[in-house]
Amino acid sequence: MKSTARSLLLALLLTLGGAAWLGAAPEGSRLPGQGPLLVQASEDSEEDDSELDEDEDEEGEDEEDEFDEEGFDDEFAEPAEEEGSDPLSGYNRVMTGFNDGFYTYVLDPTARGYRWAVPEGGRRSVNNFFRNLLYPVRFVNNVLQFKLKNAGEETGRFLINSTVGLFGLFDPAKSWFGLEERQEDFGQTLGHYGVGGGFHIVLPFLGPSNARDTVSLYPDFLTDPTNSKFVVRKENGDHVLYGDNKLAPIGTKVVEVVNYTSLHIGEYDNLKKDAVDLYPFLRDVYEQNRNKKIAE
Amino acid sequence: MRHFTLTALLGLFLLVGFVPFSHADEAAKITAQTKEKVTNVIDYLRDTSLDKEDRNAKILAEVESIFDFNLMARLSLGKKWKKTKKKLRKQFVKVFVKRIQQSYLEKLDLYTDEKIEIEDAKLTKKKRAELKTYLVSKDDKKEMIYKFHKHKKRGWLVYDVNILGVSFVQTYRSQFAGVLKDKSMKELIEDLKNPDQS
Repeated sequence: MKSTARSLLLALLLTLGGAAWLGAAPEGSRLPGQGPLLVQASEDSEEDDSELDEDEDEEGEDEEDEFDEEGFDDEFAEPAEEEGSDPLSGYNRVMTGFNDGFYTYVLDPTARGYRWAVPEGGRRSVNNFFRNLLYPVRFVNNVLQFKLKNAGEETGRFLINSTVGLFGLFDPAKSWFGLEERQEDFGQTLGHYGVGGGFHIVLPFLGPSNARDTVSLYPDFLTDPTNSKFVVRKENGDHVLYGDNKLAPIGTKVVEVVNYTSLHIGEYDNLKKDAVDLYPFLRDVYEQNRNKKIAE
Repeated sequence: MRHFTLTALLGLFLLVGFVPFSHADEAAKITAQTKEKVTNVIDYLRDTSLDKEDRNAKILAEVESIFDFNLMARLSLGKKWKKTKKKLRKQFVKVFVKRIQQSYLEKLDLYTDEKIEIEDAKLTKKKRAELKTYLVSKDDKKEMIYKFHKHKKRGWLVYDVNILGVSFVQTYRSQFAGVLKDKSMKELIEDLKNPDQS
Protein backbone atom coordinates (compact mmCIF):
# COMPACT_ATOMS: atom_id res chain seq x y z
CA MET A 1 0.00 0.00 0.00
CA LYS A 2 2.78 2.25 1.01
CA SER A 3 4.60 1.74 -2.23
CA THR A 4 1.52 2.58 -4.31
CA ALA A 5 1.19 5.86 -2.45
CA ARG A 6 4.82 6.58 -3.06
CA SER A 7 4.57 5.77 -6.74
CA LEU A 8 1.63 8.10 -7.02
CA LEU A 9 3.52 10.85 -5.29
CA LEU A 10 6.48 10.19 -7.51
CA ALA A 11 4.38 10.31 -10.64
CA LEU A 12 2.88 13.58 -9.52
CA LEU A 13 6.21 15.11 -8.72
CA LEU A 14 7.70 14.02 -11.99
CA THR A 15 4.82 15.43 -13.97
CA LEU A 16 5.09 18.71 -12.16
CA GLY A 17 8.84 18.71 -12.48
CA GLY A 18 8.56 17.95 -16.16
CA ALA A 19 6.01 20.70 -16.58
CA ALA A 20 8.29 23.08 -14.75
CA TRP A 21 11.10 22.15 -17.03
CA LEU A 22 8.94 22.63 -20.08
CA GLY A 23 8.09 26.05 -18.79
CA ALA A 24 11.63 27.04 -19.60
CA ALA A 25 11.22 25.93 -23.18
CA PRO A 26 10.04 28.41 -25.82
CA GLU A 27 6.67 28.89 -27.55
CA GLY A 28 3.60 26.94 -26.73
CA SER A 29 4.79 25.53 -23.45
CA ARG A 30 3.04 26.48 -20.28
CA LEU A 31 4.35 27.64 -16.99
CA PRO A 32 4.01 25.24 -14.08
CA GLY A 33 1.38 25.58 -11.45
CA GLN A 34 -1.13 26.76 -13.97
CA GLY A 35 -4.51 25.33 -13.09
CA PRO A 36 -6.58 23.48 -15.66
CA LEU A 37 -9.04 26.35 -15.62
CA LEU A 38 -6.59 28.80 -17.07
CA VAL A 39 -5.43 26.36 -19.65
CA GLN A 40 -8.98 26.02 -20.84
CA ALA A 41 -9.58 29.70 -20.93
CA SER A 42 -6.81 30.23 -23.42
CA GLU A 43 -7.78 27.23 -25.44
CA ASP A 44 -10.06 29.08 -27.85
CA SER A 45 -8.55 29.75 -31.18
CA GLU A 46 -7.01 33.09 -31.82
CA GLU A 47 -7.33 35.11 -34.95
CA ASP A 48 -4.40 35.35 -37.27
CA ASP A 49 -2.40 38.35 -38.27
CA SER A 50 -3.87 37.96 -41.68
CA GLU A 51 -6.93 39.59 -40.12
CA LEU A 52 -5.28 42.81 -41.14
CA ASP A 53 -5.51 41.96 -44.77
CA GLU A 54 -8.32 42.99 -47.01
CA ASP A 55 -9.79 39.56 -47.65
CA GLU A 56 -13.04 38.77 -46.03
CA ASP A 57 -12.58 35.06 -45.48
CA GLU A 58 -13.87 33.75 -42.21
CA GLU A 59 -10.90 33.15 -40.02
CA GLY A 60 -10.73 33.43 -36.30
CA GLU A 61 -14.22 32.06 -35.89
CA ASP A 62 -14.32 31.87 -32.16
CA GLU A 63 -12.66 35.10 -31.28
CA GLU A 64 -15.54 35.88 -28.92
CA ASP A 65 -14.44 36.99 -25.48
CA GLU A 66 -11.35 34.87 -25.43
CA PHE A 67 -9.40 37.58 -23.69
CA ASP A 68 -11.87 38.44 -21.02
CA GLU A 69 -11.00 35.43 -18.99
CA GLU A 70 -7.44 36.53 -18.95
CA GLY A 71 -8.42 39.61 -17.05
CA PHE A 72 -7.64 42.26 -19.64
CA ASP A 73 -10.87 44.03 -18.84
CA ASP A 74 -9.87 44.53 -15.23
CA GLU A 75 -6.71 46.23 -16.33
CA PHE A 76 -8.36 49.10 -18.07
CA ALA A 77 -10.98 51.18 -16.41
CA GLU A 78 -14.28 51.62 -18.15
CA PRO A 79 -14.30 55.35 -18.70
CA ALA A 80 -16.52 57.10 -16.21
CA GLU A 81 -18.13 59.45 -18.63
CA GLU A 82 -21.24 60.26 -16.63
CA GLU A 83 -22.20 63.89 -16.65
CA GLY A 84 -21.23 64.36 -13.04
CA SER A 85 -17.54 63.59 -13.48
CA ASP A 86 -16.92 66.37 -15.97
CA PRO A 87 -19.29 69.22 -15.16
CA LEU A 88 -17.28 71.79 -17.11
CA SER A 89 -16.96 69.79 -20.30
CA GLY A 90 -18.74 72.45 -22.37
CA TYR A 91 -16.44 75.24 -21.23
CA ASN A 92 -13.44 72.92 -21.30
CA ARG A 93 -14.00 72.09 -24.94
CA VAL A 94 -14.12 75.74 -25.88
CA MET A 95 -11.00 76.52 -23.87
CA THR A 96 -9.19 73.54 -25.38
CA GLY A 97 -9.96 74.98 -28.81
CA PHE A 98 -8.67 78.36 -27.72
CA ASN A 99 -5.44 76.96 -26.26
CA ASP A 100 -4.91 74.78 -29.30
CA GLY A 101 -5.28 77.81 -31.56
CA PHE A 102 -3.00 79.85 -29.34
CA TYR A 103 -0.36 77.16 -29.48
CA THR A 104 -0.64 76.65 -33.22
CA TYR A 105 -0.83 80.28 -34.34
CA VAL A 106 1.09 82.16 -31.67
CA LEU A 107 3.34 80.08 -29.47
CA ASP A 108 4.59 77.61 -32.03
CA PRO A 109 5.58 80.22 -34.68
CA THR A 110 7.18 82.39 -32.00
CA ALA A 111 9.16 79.48 -30.64
CA ARG A 112 10.22 78.50 -34.15
CA GLY A 113 11.51 82.00 -34.80
CA TYR A 114 13.32 81.99 -31.50
CA ARG A 115 14.79 78.57 -32.26
CA TRP A 116 16.08 79.95 -35.53
CA ALA A 117 17.71 82.91 -33.76
CA VAL A 118 19.19 81.23 -30.71
CA PRO A 119 21.49 78.23 -30.93
CA GLU A 120 20.45 75.05 -29.17
CA GLY A 121 23.15 75.21 -26.51
CA GLY A 122 21.94 78.64 -25.47
CA ARG A 123 18.35 77.53 -25.29
CA ARG A 124 19.28 74.53 -23.17
CA SER A 125 21.14 76.80 -20.81
CA VAL A 126 18.19 79.14 -20.49
CA ASN A 127 16.01 76.14 -19.76
CA ASN A 128 18.47 74.91 -17.14
CA PHE A 129 18.52 78.37 -15.61
CA PHE A 130 14.76 78.46 -15.13
CA ARG A 131 14.63 74.93 -13.86
CA ASN A 132 17.29 75.72 -11.32
CA LEU A 133 15.29 78.71 -10.14
CA LEU A 134 12.30 76.47 -9.51
CA TYR A 135 14.30 74.63 -6.87
CA PRO A 136 12.24 76.10 -3.97
CA VAL A 137 9.00 74.66 -5.39
CA ARG A 138 10.51 71.21 -5.72
CA PHE A 139 12.31 71.37 -2.37
CA VAL A 140 9.27 72.47 -0.38
CA ASN A 141 7.04 69.81 -1.89
CA ASN A 142 9.58 67.04 -1.46
CA VAL A 143 9.83 67.98 2.20
CA LEU A 144 6.07 68.18 2.59
CA GLN A 145 5.85 64.62 1.33
CA PHE A 146 8.73 63.56 3.58
CA LYS A 147 10.80 62.64 0.57
CA LEU A 148 13.84 63.83 2.43
CA LYS A 149 16.37 62.04 0.32
CA ASN A 150 15.00 63.69 -2.80
CA ALA A 151 14.87 67.05 -1.03
CA GLY A 152 18.54 66.62 -0.15
CA GLU A 153 19.34 65.68 -3.71
CA GLU A 154 17.53 68.79 -4.92
CA THR A 155 19.50 70.96 -2.51
CA GLY A 156 22.74 69.39 -3.70
CA ARG A 157 21.72 70.12 -7.27
CA PHE A 158 20.85 73.71 -6.47
CA LEU A 159 24.15 74.35 -4.71
CA ILE A 160 26.26 72.74 -7.39
CA ASN A 161 24.41 74.18 -10.37
CA SER A 162 24.17 77.69 -8.93
CA THR A 163 27.93 77.81 -8.42
CA VAL A 164 29.88 75.41 -10.60
CA GLY A 165 27.00 75.46 -13.08
CA LEU A 166 27.24 79.26 -13.42
CA PHE A 167 23.93 80.42 -11.95
CA GLY A 168 22.20 77.32 -13.17
CA LEU A 169 23.04 77.72 -16.85
CA PHE A 170 24.62 74.29 -16.84
CA ASP A 171 23.72 71.08 -15.09
CA PRO A 172 26.95 69.58 -13.75
CA ALA A 173 25.00 68.14 -10.80
CA LYS A 174 23.50 65.61 -13.16
CA SER A 175 26.33 65.10 -15.60
CA TRP A 176 29.11 64.92 -13.02
CA PHE A 177 27.44 63.88 -9.81
CA GLY A 178 24.46 61.94 -11.12
CA LEU A 179 21.98 63.96 -9.07
CA GLU A 180 18.57 63.84 -10.70
CA GLU A 181 15.91 66.47 -10.61
CA ARG A 182 12.99 65.44 -8.38
CA GLN A 183 10.02 67.25 -9.76
CA GLU A 184 7.25 67.81 -7.22
CA ASP A 185 4.60 70.48 -6.99
CA PHE A 186 1.85 71.28 -4.54
CA GLY A 187 -0.79 69.40 -6.52
CA GLN A 188 1.38 66.29 -6.22
CA THR A 189 1.75 66.91 -2.50
CA LEU A 190 -2.01 67.07 -2.05
CA GLY A 191 -2.41 63.99 -4.21
CA HIS A 192 0.20 62.23 -2.11
CA TYR A 193 -2.02 62.76 0.94
CA GLY A 194 -5.02 61.37 -0.85
CA VAL A 195 -6.66 64.48 -2.25
CA GLY A 196 -8.39 63.54 -5.50
CA GLY A 197 -8.16 65.64 -8.61
CA GLY A 198 -11.76 66.81 -8.55
CA PHE A 199 -13.38 68.07 -11.72
CA HIS A 200 -11.28 68.66 -14.77
CA ILE A 201 -10.76 72.24 -15.85
CA VAL A 202 -8.87 73.63 -18.82
CA LEU A 203 -7.11 76.85 -17.92
CA PRO A 204 -6.48 79.59 -20.45
CA PHE A 205 -2.92 79.36 -21.79
CA LEU A 206 -1.90 76.85 -19.13
CA GLY A 207 -3.98 74.01 -20.53
CA PRO A 208 -5.47 70.94 -18.80
CA SER A 209 -5.76 70.98 -15.03
CA ASN A 210 -8.20 69.94 -12.35
CA ALA A 211 -9.65 71.46 -9.20
CA ARG A 212 -6.82 70.24 -6.98
CA ASP A 213 -4.03 71.32 -9.27
CA THR A 214 -5.61 74.69 -10.00
CA VAL A 215 -5.85 75.52 -6.31
CA SER A 216 -2.26 74.34 -5.98
CA LEU A 217 -1.07 76.92 -8.45
CA TYR A 218 -1.18 79.51 -5.71
CA PRO A 219 1.27 77.87 -3.25
CA ASP A 220 3.51 77.05 -6.20
CA PHE A 221 3.29 80.64 -7.35
CA LEU A 222 4.43 81.80 -3.91
CA THR A 223 7.46 79.54 -3.92
CA ASP A 224 8.42 80.31 -7.51
CA PRO A 225 11.04 83.07 -7.51
CA THR A 226 10.45 83.94 -11.14
CA ASN A 227 7.17 85.50 -10.04
CA SER A 228 9.09 88.12 -8.13
CA LYS A 229 8.00 91.61 -8.95
CA PHE A 230 11.44 92.99 -8.39
CA VAL A 231 13.24 94.50 -11.26
CA VAL A 232 16.56 96.32 -11.54
CA ARG A 233 16.60 99.67 -13.29
CA LYS A 234 19.43 102.03 -13.99
CA GLU A 235 18.85 105.43 -12.50
CA ASN A 236 21.46 108.20 -12.65
CA GLY A 237 24.15 105.61 -13.12
CA ASP A 238 23.03 103.56 -10.13
CA HIS A 239 21.26 100.23 -10.19
CA VAL A 240 18.04 100.56 -8.27
CA LEU A 241 15.83 97.69 -7.24
CA TYR A 242 12.14 98.30 -7.75
CA GLY A 243 9.60 96.11 -6.06
CA ASP A 244 6.47 97.09 -7.90
CA ASN A 245 6.87 95.94 -11.44
CA LYS A 246 3.79 93.93 -12.25
CA LEU A 247 4.94 93.12 -15.75
CA ALA A 248 8.29 91.67 -14.75
CA PRO A 249 6.99 88.20 -13.86
CA ILE A 250 4.96 88.06 -17.06
CA GLY A 251 7.99 88.93 -19.14
CA THR A 252 9.98 86.26 -17.37
CA LYS A 253 7.25 83.69 -17.94
CA VAL A 254 7.07 84.50 -21.64
CA VAL A 255 10.79 83.92 -22.08
CA GLU A 256 10.60 80.75 -20.04
CA VAL A 257 7.69 79.34 -22.00
CA VAL A 258 8.93 80.32 -25.46
CA ASN A 259 12.33 78.91 -24.64
CA TYR A 260 10.86 75.67 -23.36
CA THR A 261 8.61 75.34 -26.38
CA SER A 262 11.54 75.89 -28.72
CA LEU A 263 13.16 72.78 -27.28
CA HIS A 264 10.04 70.70 -27.83
CA ILE A 265 8.83 71.78 -31.25
CA GLY A 266 6.61 69.29 -33.01
CA GLU A 267 5.87 67.26 -29.90
CA TYR A 268 2.43 68.66 -29.28
CA ASP A 269 1.42 68.23 -32.92
CA ASN A 270 2.68 64.71 -32.77
CA LEU A 271 0.84 63.92 -29.58
CA LYS A 272 -2.32 65.41 -31.02
CA LYS A 273 -2.31 62.84 -33.79
CA ASP A 274 -3.41 60.21 -31.31
CA ALA A 275 -6.51 62.20 -30.57
CA VAL A 276 -9.80 61.15 -32.05
CA ASP A 277 -11.43 63.94 -30.09
CA LEU A 278 -8.97 66.51 -28.78
CA TYR A 279 -10.53 67.60 -25.50
CA PRO A 280 -11.13 64.21 -23.85
CA PHE A 281 -7.80 63.05 -25.21
CA LEU A 282 -5.82 65.84 -23.58
CA ARG A 283 -7.88 65.48 -20.42
CA ASP A 284 -7.04 61.81 -20.13
CA VAL A 285 -3.40 62.27 -20.93
CA TYR A 286 -3.19 64.94 -18.25
CA GLU A 287 -5.00 63.00 -15.55
CA GLN A 288 -3.15 59.73 -16.18
CA ASN A 289 0.18 61.49 -16.18
CA ARG A 290 -0.61 63.36 -12.96
CA ASN A 291 -1.68 60.15 -11.24
CA LYS A 292 1.60 58.58 -12.17
CA LYS A 293 3.60 61.53 -10.89
CA ILE A 294 1.69 61.44 -7.63
CA ALA A 295 2.30 57.74 -7.23
CA GLU A 296 6.04 58.15 -7.70
CA MET B 1 12.26 1.58 -2.65
CA ARG B 2 15.42 3.56 -2.35
CA HIS B 3 15.48 3.99 -6.07
CA PHE B 4 11.96 5.39 -5.89
CA THR B 5 12.83 7.84 -3.16
CA LEU B 6 15.80 9.00 -5.12
CA THR B 7 13.74 9.64 -8.22
CA ALA B 8 11.15 11.40 -6.12
CA LEU B 9 13.84 13.64 -4.75
CA LEU B 10 15.05 14.30 -8.23
CA GLY B 11 11.52 15.21 -9.25
CA LEU B 12 11.31 17.55 -6.30
CA PHE B 13 14.60 19.09 -7.23
CA LEU B 14 13.41 19.65 -10.77
CA LEU B 15 10.22 21.23 -9.48
CA VAL B 16 11.90 23.57 -7.04
CA GLY B 17 14.88 24.25 -9.21
CA PHE B 18 13.11 25.08 -12.39
CA VAL B 19 10.15 27.10 -11.28
CA PRO B 20 12.06 30.29 -10.61
CA PHE B 21 14.44 29.51 -13.39
CA SER B 22 11.71 29.25 -15.99
CA HIS B 23 10.28 32.59 -14.90
CA ALA B 24 13.61 34.30 -15.14
CA ASP B 25 14.12 32.67 -18.46
CA GLU B 26 10.81 33.89 -19.87
CA ALA B 27 11.58 37.40 -18.71
CA ALA B 28 15.07 37.26 -20.15
CA LYS B 29 13.60 36.21 -23.44
CA ILE B 30 11.34 39.25 -23.52
CA THR B 31 14.21 41.56 -22.67
CA ALA B 32 16.45 40.08 -25.32
CA GLN B 33 13.77 40.14 -27.97
CA THR B 34 12.88 43.76 -27.27
CA LYS B 35 16.50 44.85 -27.16
CA GLU B 36 17.06 43.31 -30.52
CA LYS B 37 14.03 45.05 -32.04
CA VAL B 38 14.92 48.41 -30.55
CA THR B 39 18.47 48.16 -31.82
CA ASN B 40 17.23 47.29 -35.28
CA VAL B 41 14.75 50.16 -35.34
CA ILE B 42 17.42 52.64 -34.26
CA ASP B 43 19.80 51.29 -36.86
CA TYR B 44 17.18 51.92 -39.53
CA LEU B 45 16.53 55.41 -38.18
CA ARG B 46 20.21 56.24 -38.37
CA ASP B 47 20.70 54.71 -41.76
CA THR B 48 20.53 57.74 -44.01
CA SER B 49 20.94 55.67 -47.15
CA LEU B 50 17.38 54.36 -46.90
CA ASP B 51 14.60 56.46 -48.30
CA LYS B 52 11.82 57.16 -45.89
CA GLU B 53 9.22 54.83 -47.29
CA ASP B 54 11.62 51.97 -47.41
CA ARG B 55 12.81 52.71 -43.92
CA ASN B 56 9.28 52.87 -42.53
CA ALA B 57 8.35 49.57 -44.12
CA LYS B 58 11.39 47.94 -42.57
CA ILE B 59 10.66 49.42 -39.18
CA LEU B 60 7.05 48.30 -39.28
CA ALA B 61 8.11 44.80 -40.14
CA GLU B 62 10.33 44.76 -37.05
CA VAL B 63 7.68 46.17 -34.79
CA GLU B 64 4.82 44.04 -36.06
CA SER B 65 6.52 40.90 -34.94
CA ILE B 66 6.32 41.87 -31.27
CA PHE B 67 3.08 43.87 -31.21
CA ASP B 68 -0.37 42.41 -30.89
CA PHE B 69 -2.16 45.12 -32.83
CA ASN B 70 -5.38 43.12 -33.03
CA LEU B 71 -5.61 42.87 -29.30
CA MET B 72 -4.81 46.56 -28.92
CA ALA B 73 -7.69 47.38 -31.23
CA ARG B 74 -10.05 45.16 -29.30
CA LEU B 75 -9.02 46.47 -25.90
CA SER B 76 -9.37 50.03 -27.11
CA LEU B 77 -12.97 49.40 -27.92
CA GLY B 78 -13.64 48.03 -24.44
CA LYS B 79 -17.11 46.70 -23.80
CA LYS B 80 -18.32 47.92 -27.18
CA TRP B 81 -16.31 45.18 -28.85
CA LYS B 82 -18.80 42.52 -27.88
CA LYS B 83 -21.71 44.54 -29.18
CA THR B 84 -20.08 45.18 -32.52
CA LYS B 85 -20.86 43.04 -35.53
CA LYS B 86 -18.10 40.94 -36.90
CA LYS B 87 -17.83 42.75 -40.18
CA LEU B 88 -17.55 46.10 -38.47
CA ARG B 89 -15.00 44.73 -36.06
CA LYS B 90 -12.80 43.78 -38.94
CA GLN B 91 -13.10 47.19 -40.51
CA PHE B 92 -12.41 48.80 -37.18
CA VAL B 93 -9.30 46.72 -36.53
CA LYS B 94 -8.04 47.56 -39.96
CA VAL B 95 -8.38 51.32 -39.71
CA PHE B 96 -7.26 51.41 -36.10
CA VAL B 97 -4.11 49.43 -36.75
CA LYS B 98 -3.30 51.56 -39.76
CA ARG B 99 -3.76 54.67 -37.71
CA ILE B 100 -1.62 53.64 -34.76
CA GLN B 101 1.13 52.45 -37.06
CA GLN B 102 1.05 55.79 -38.81
CA SER B 103 1.15 57.60 -35.49
CA TYR B 104 4.07 55.47 -34.37
CA LEU B 105 6.04 56.22 -37.50
CA GLU B 106 5.38 59.92 -37.16
CA LYS B 107 6.65 59.82 -33.60
CA LEU B 108 9.86 58.31 -34.88
CA ASP B 109 10.37 61.43 -36.98
CA LEU B 110 11.01 63.28 -33.73
CA TYR B 111 13.87 60.96 -32.96
CA THR B 112 17.23 62.68 -32.95
CA ASP B 113 19.95 61.33 -30.74
CA GLU B 114 18.04 59.91 -27.77
CA LYS B 115 19.33 56.81 -26.15
CA ILE B 116 17.08 54.01 -25.08
CA GLU B 117 17.76 52.27 -21.81
CA ILE B 118 16.08 48.93 -21.38
CA GLU B 119 15.63 47.36 -17.99
CA ASP B 120 15.00 43.69 -17.40
CA ALA B 121 11.48 42.49 -18.07
CA LYS B 122 9.44 41.30 -15.12
CA LEU B 123 6.66 38.77 -15.14
CA THR B 124 3.66 40.27 -13.40
CA LYS B 125 1.33 37.31 -13.87
CA LYS B 126 1.68 33.98 -15.56
CA LYS B 127 0.95 35.40 -18.94
CA ARG B 128 1.82 39.02 -18.45
CA ALA B 129 5.07 40.87 -18.32
CA GLU B 130 6.27 44.43 -18.14
CA LEU B 131 9.36 45.94 -19.60
CA LYS B 132 10.51 49.33 -18.47
CA THR B 133 12.49 51.46 -20.88
CA TYR B 134 13.72 55.01 -20.76
CA LEU B 135 14.05 57.41 -23.61
CA VAL B 136 17.01 59.53 -22.56
CA SER B 137 17.59 62.86 -24.24
CA LYS B 138 19.81 65.76 -23.32
CA ASP B 139 17.43 67.34 -20.91
CA ASP B 140 15.12 64.63 -19.76
CA LYS B 141 14.32 61.01 -19.37
CA LYS B 142 10.95 59.62 -20.38
CA GLU B 143 9.70 56.39 -18.93
CA MET B 144 8.03 53.99 -21.32
CA ILE B 145 6.61 50.69 -20.15
CA TYR B 146 5.80 47.98 -22.62
CA LYS B 147 3.17 45.52 -21.49
CA PHE B 148 3.39 42.01 -22.83
CA HIS B 149 1.02 39.11 -22.83
CA LYS B 150 1.74 35.59 -23.86
CA HIS B 151 0.05 34.81 -27.12
CA LYS B 152 -0.69 31.16 -27.72
CA LYS B 153 1.02 30.99 -31.06
CA ARG B 154 3.21 34.01 -31.31
CA GLY B 155 4.75 34.08 -27.84
CA TRP B 156 5.24 37.32 -25.94
CA LEU B 157 3.58 40.30 -27.58
CA VAL B 158 3.04 43.91 -26.64
CA TYR B 159 -0.58 44.85 -25.97
CA ASP B 160 -0.12 48.28 -24.41
CA VAL B 161 2.49 50.98 -24.15
CA ASN B 162 2.55 53.29 -21.20
CA ILE B 163 4.38 56.56 -21.72
CA LEU B 164 4.89 58.71 -18.62
CA GLY B 165 1.93 57.03 -17.00
CA VAL B 166 -0.32 57.48 -20.00
CA SER B 167 -1.64 54.20 -21.26
CA PHE B 168 -2.08 54.04 -24.97
CA VAL B 169 -4.99 51.64 -24.82
CA GLN B 170 -6.70 53.44 -21.96
CA THR B 171 -6.53 56.75 -23.77
CA TYR B 172 -8.08 55.36 -26.92
CA ARG B 173 -10.59 53.46 -24.89
CA SER B 174 -12.08 56.49 -23.20
CA GLN B 175 -12.00 58.48 -26.42
CA PHE B 176 -13.86 55.78 -28.33
CA ALA B 177 -16.38 55.40 -25.53
CA GLY B 178 -16.97 59.14 -25.71
CA VAL B 179 -17.30 59.23 -29.48
CA LEU B 180 -19.59 56.21 -29.55
CA LYS B 181 -22.01 57.89 -27.21
CA ASP B 182 -23.24 60.14 -29.98
CA LYS B 183 -21.93 58.43 -33.07
CA SER B 184 -22.32 55.03 -34.64
CA MET B 185 -19.52 52.54 -35.11
CA LYS B 186 -19.58 53.27 -38.84
CA GLU B 187 -19.04 56.97 -38.24
CA LEU B 188 -16.18 56.24 -35.86
CA ILE B 189 -14.52 54.11 -38.50
CA GLU B 190 -14.92 56.96 -40.99
CA ASP B 191 -13.38 59.38 -38.48
CA LEU B 192 -10.43 57.10 -38.00
CA LYS B 193 -9.87 56.94 -41.71
CA ASN B 194 -9.38 60.71 -41.92
CA PRO B 195 -7.30 61.61 -38.92
CA ASP B 196 -6.68 65.21 -39.88
CA GLN B 197 -10.20 66.48 -39.68
CA SER B 198 -11.00 65.18 -36.23
